[in-house]
Amino acid sequence: MAPSVLIVDDALFMRMMIKDILSKDGFEIVGEAENGVEAVKKYAELHPDLVTMDIVMPEMDGIEAVRNIIKIDPGARVLMCSAMGQQPLVVEALEAGAKDFIIKPFQPAKVVEAVRKALHGDGG
Amino acid sequence: MTAKEGSASLSAIQIDALREVGNIGAGNAAIALSQMVDKKVDLSVPKASLQPLVCIPELVGGPETPVAGVYLNIAGDCSGSILLLLEKESAESLAALMVPHDLAAGAEMGVVKRSALQETGSILSGAYLSALGQLTGLFFKPSVPGFAMDMAGAIMDYVLVDLGSAEEHVLVVETDFTVSGVKILGHLILFPDLGTLATILQRLGVPLE
Repeated sequence: MAPSVLIVDDALFMRMMIKDILSKDGFEIVGEAENGVEAVKKYAELHPDLVTMDIVMPEMDGIEAVRNIIKIDPGARVLMCSAMGQQPLVVEALEAGAKDFIIKPFQPAKVVEAVRKALHGDGG
Repeated sequence: MTAKEGSASLSAIQIDALREVGNIGAGNAAIALSQMVDKKVDLSVPKASLQPLVCIPELVGGPETPVAGVYLNIAGDCSGSILLLLEKESAESLAALMVPHDLAAGAEMGVVKRSALQETGSILSGAYLSALGQLTGLFFKPSVPGFAMDMAGAIMDYVLVDLGSAEEHVLVVETDFTVSGVKILGHLILFPDLGTLATILQRLGVPLE
């Protein structure tokens, strides 16, 4: 069965890009969210195998969302997608429980590689 | 040029240090842009300067020039704001390069292109902030960006209302990129809040007197 992915990013363009990259590689995109609040709600509802999470978002940022998702499911696999210049935030996200991160803008091959790594690493 | 109170009285070496931040930031931005459009990006030597706040609309051809603006606030160790202004034609060419037709299938093209430009603003600003962060050892946290296509004067009015306590002079980095033969003309403007410029200059090793 194709691994299920929830894509979280406030930019429609980024969601489309990630969706395009991952669905071409055989992943099933089960949902999208445009802020942290929505992400936590959709995670509880869908329990995807993996979440791609933007950091800077309205309502609730990606780091707070990771904390809340880990509370619901300590084994959750979250991959942070952050823009260059937000590296200190990435450290905070990893401490909050995210598995790994990729820096925007990204190349398709890097996204797929990071997603596979996050899926097959610890925490399952 | 006569120096107005406060921030304008910078020495040549201080201006030079700020210019260097702009140059490195523009280099980062070119790499980021190249990855986003998946094409080679040529960067002309960026021109960085300190400009009076009131002169910003003139940089892009006057207050009535149509532009695309991406605006965000900075928090963290220092506060301020960033505005990326792209000439309307440049913005449209860039959006067309970024959004392949098949990607936008099922969604309204205009909405996707808007989002693509907003995200570009966010990533390019990130590239500059990253350079500034590396050179100063300070952390700058960007906010969610706002996006507008309007006349330069209208966009500046909005920014001025938001600014509150800004320095009278701002750091302007003029950046010309060429992507697949298409010229993208833009200005990235850093509005430091009062005190931020002093902190940045101190960290760069050229403190205000």
